[in-house]
Amino acid sequence: MRMLNMHVVNVLRRQCIKQTPVLVQREGSWLMTHCLKSLLLPSSPPCRGLSTAQRLRKEASQPSTDKLDLDLWKSVMKSGGDSSEVTQAEESTEASPLGAMRELVEMWRQAGKLVPENMTEEELQTLEELPTKSSRKKYLKYLALKEGHKKARKKKQEKKKQERAEDAKGSGEDEEEEGSRMKNTFLLQFWQRSIDSLYNWRAAQAMQFGQSLVFDMSYDRYMTRREIENTVSQLLECEGWNRRALDPFHLHFCNLKVEAAYHKELIKRYSGAWDRLLVSVTDRPHQEVFPREKLVYLTADSPHVLKTFDHDKVYIVGAMVDKSIQTGLSLANAKRLNLATARLPLDEYLHWDSGAKNLTLDQVIRILLTIKDSGSWEKALRFVPSRKHEGFYEPQQSQHKHWGKSEARRDNSRTQGAFVRHQAFNPRMQKTLLKDSRSGETAGKSKGKKNWWEEED
Amino acid sequence: MGTLLISCTLNSIYPLLVHSRASCFAVHKNVSSFFKVWVPLKVQRFSTRVGNSYEGDDKRPNTKQKEQSGKVPHALPKSVFAAGTARKKAEFLKQKWGNDFDKALKGPRKPKENNIPSQPLSAAQWKTLKDDARASHHFEVSMMEKMLAANSDIDVAKSLLAYVAMETGTVSYELLLRYLTLCVHGNHESEVFDVYDIMKKRFKTLETGAYSLFIKGFSRTEKWRECLLLLESIKRVITPSPRNYGYAINGALLHSDSRTAWVLYEEMVEKGLTPNQETWQAFFDSDRSAHDSESKLSSLLLYMRNNQIYPGEALVKSIKVWFESVPGNKWNGSWTTPENSGHCRNCCSSLESIQLTEDEYNQLKEKVMNDVIQGKDVFKKTTPQELESFKSFVKKRPPFDVIIDGLNVANTTSKGNQSETLLEVVSHLAQQNLRLLVLGRKHMLRGSRSWDRKNMSVIQQKADCFFTDNISEDDPFLLYATLHSGNHCKFLSRDLMRDHKACLPDSSTRRLFFKWQRGHQLVLSSYTAGRRIRFETVPKYDTIIQTEENSWHIPYDEDGVERYSYEVPRKWLCLEMKR
Repeated sequence: MRMLNMHVVNVLRRQCIKQTPVLVQREGSWLMTHCLKSLLLPSSPPCRGLSTAQRLRKEASQPSTDKLDLDLWKSVMKSGGDSSEVTQAEESTEASPLGAMRELVEMWRQAGKLVPENMTEEELQTLEELPTKSSRKKYLKYLALKEGHKKARKKKQEKKKQERAEDAKGSGEDEEEEGSRMKNTFLLQFWQRSIDSLYNWRAAQAMQFGQSLVFDMSYDRYMTRREIENTVSQLLECEGWNRRALDPFHLHFCNLKVEAAYHKELIKRYSGAWDRLLVSVTDRPHQEVFPREKLVYLTADSPHVLKTFDHDKVYIVGAMVDKSIQTGLSLANAKRLNLATARLPLDEYLHWDSGAKNLTLDQVIRILLTIKDSGSWEKALRFVPSRKHEGFYEPQQSQHKHWGKSEARRDNSRTQGAFVRHQAFNPRMQKTLLKDSRSGETAGKSKGKKNWWEEED
Repeated sequence: MGTLLISCTLNSIYPLLVHSRASCFAVHKNVSSFFKVWVPLKVQRFSTRVGNSYEGDDKRPNTKQKEQSGKVPHALPKSVFAAGTARKKAEFLKQKWGNDFDKALKGPRKPKENNIPSQPLSAAQWKTLKDDARASHHFEVSMMEKMLAANSDIDVAKSLLAYVAMETGTVSYELLLRYLTLCVHGNHESEVFDVYDIMKKRFKTLETGAYSLFIKGFSRTEKWRECLLLLESIKRVITPSPRNYGYAINGALLHSDSRTAWVLYEEMVEKGLTPNQETWQAFFDSDRSAHDSESKLSSLLLYMRNNQIYPGEALVKSIKVWFESVPGNKWNGSWTTPENSGHCRNCCSSLESIQLTEDEYNQLKEKVMNDVIQGKDVFKKTTPQELESFKSFVKKRPPFDVIIDGLNVANTTSKGNQSETLLEVVSHLAQQNLRLLVLGRKHMLRGSRSWDRKNMSVIQQKADCFFTDNISEDDPFLLYATLHSGNHCKFLSRDLMRDHKACLPDSSTRRLFFKWQRGHQLVLSSYTAGRRIRFETVPKYDTIIQTEENSWHIPYDEDGVERYSYEVPRKWLCLEMKR
């Protein structure tokens, strides 16, 4: 009570000094009614310090003419403090070595910093081991963002579930009627399982007869944990694109040491499917698996440009993600083994002045699959993210024209389509057609050849 | 401009200057002192010879250059390593290319709406204000932040807190923290105390931001000893920042407890933290009247020397005042710049040489070989075969005087043919009977429009040449050849070698490399095809805090000059003891 008395004195003093009485009367009366209203309404937030605070609020608003009690909040905070302190003391009884760190994170969260709400012991341990404050903050930010994404996903799922439930409820009656009858369709349903087996057939075929593509897995010591995780997710994507391609590569993971970081992460991500995967995995280096002269190392630092895709070569892609760019790492590996190197013809086809000219593994495999199928760099390099460059070069327009020409010819042949189709099984006819199209080409024999085969599809 | 014209070679071209450049000398304001120092000090043979080699084509009258210097307001300083060069160059280029880039970067910025109330509001008024605001859930904190940015009256903030307390029955930690920042910045001591009491009562522990603010807030008050407790609580979870220590030390010094301050300082240095300049300044300022920790203060200066830290202008002024206030009026301080020869203009004593000692040199040689050239993977920069062949190449030939980074020199100007540029520089240096080595890549020999075969064969006659593979780097070879040709050998390149410096493992080796680089790198300062070739001054002194029996020389950072990490200051403080 003494405190409150002091308080009133304070208030009065301040009032005498500062306020013009007219204003106080008008505003003050408004305030009073408002306060009373808020007191009567039961919609206050649930808070431990609430009971005392409310009492205080009531008392504080008693000298109703006071509209500017500047230190009011202090008394509220001081009086409300006890209860919350008790709860916090309860929490702190478990005095683990990581407790201090957990408390710090909690306080950072209260201070409005981007830190996660919940942390596992393992995460706390990693946090404790980080050397600098900034690295800790970065790690916390990463965890917080991850947590946020997870929450958002869960929320979305919940919402969808609810909607679905509502839908089912709404159309429940019709459903029952329809459900009793068989679905009326003249097509057999094509199950996902059948598609999968088709893909697997293709992959198996590629493993027997297809062109090989090597992922060099010897870079794990250059990468951080997160980079390895990223690499493995990219590899997963690579395998997926490859499996769904018309003519997949035979994928080799070379230099993959058992129980190394890569191996563990791959098994973790594939869970059960790892053993059923149609990919050749070996811990032997690629130069032992393949004849040296067949190997070509694809690296962005190579001085040689890959002008045409050679279907007889075995291309090697370094399975690495470098967030901090490590120039020349894969080139060094190729130099050590004295292998041929090549880089994709990015500069030759794309307006790409600035920015790092590195691509993700899934982009690389899509480019390679496309160039293998079509022989056209324009088509293949469409998988370079368009944000990175400013479009294809003009000089290639001439090639586009050339493409246009061949397309025109294709139209021509389409007019004679019936004829071609009739004679499709006559090999001699095919040969003559091939000859025609070849003689019509001025440049790029292989291209013309492939165009022709494309027509057949 | 006078200094710019007189290159490092003054000792050697002195007779020449007297004849042909008397007019230039008139410009030089320190000329008299210059001669005083220089004429009696005819320097060693070696520097004469090398000096000659860097002399520009000085025979023609200098009127042309004077005109130029009059026209260009941004005359660049004479060395790429001098403080402010990089900044000036950037500004010069910006001017040259127009300010489009800058404008595009900034863009049209909307004027920030500023709806901070000018006087305390009642709860009702705050409520209406909050209802009007767009993001009402974040209203209080963002309002407090705006107040902080505008440095507004604390009473307004108080009224906001009162409103929040009324509304919700409590004030969040985040909001309290912002309020605390406002109090600390506005120097409201009693408020800081109140907030401290409240926070301590409400929260079991605080986080580092609040601790730091309290340390800063308390350090100026009677309760400064709380700082030490707060520092302890930070230590429990994290290493306190140099700033935290700095404020605690400040607090101790303000209340004349220098013993505590020194204990804290030593603890901070032990933890590997680099103290702030303000902290050092506080030590010098506080000891001005008592003068009882002279040896400790000189240890501060030695710490700066050992870590190649240069004091800022404010600190160096404090240092000067401290020295001059030493009882007995013993010290005399003055601002100065050294001669290129390595003599202080003020006291005429010679500064430490930039040449490395034998041990340092060998150590550097080894480290560069292991960490820069070979690194973790030899294949990254070269191949073992190539490296071996280069080693034997260098071993077989007598030591070189100048190693030339061929591709770098060839690309000095955008105008003109590359091979011609290189040839001109090579023949200019060859005229002075210097043994040259030109490093290049193999594609230079293939013959093309820019790499004329005839020019290349002339270059190969005048100098030894080594061409690396097109996919190898040439800089590591440059460093190797220079280091292995002996201490007199220099290299010519515009490259600042920062990426190679970064390969070195520890900061002391990096400093050693930088010192060696400053003493051994030649840079073309001006080149006009067919007419003039001029090199930048190579200083003979090391820019570092140094002391002798009765003098201190302290290079410092001027205010308003932005010094990059690969530059050294140009201004010095000379402190000498009166006899």
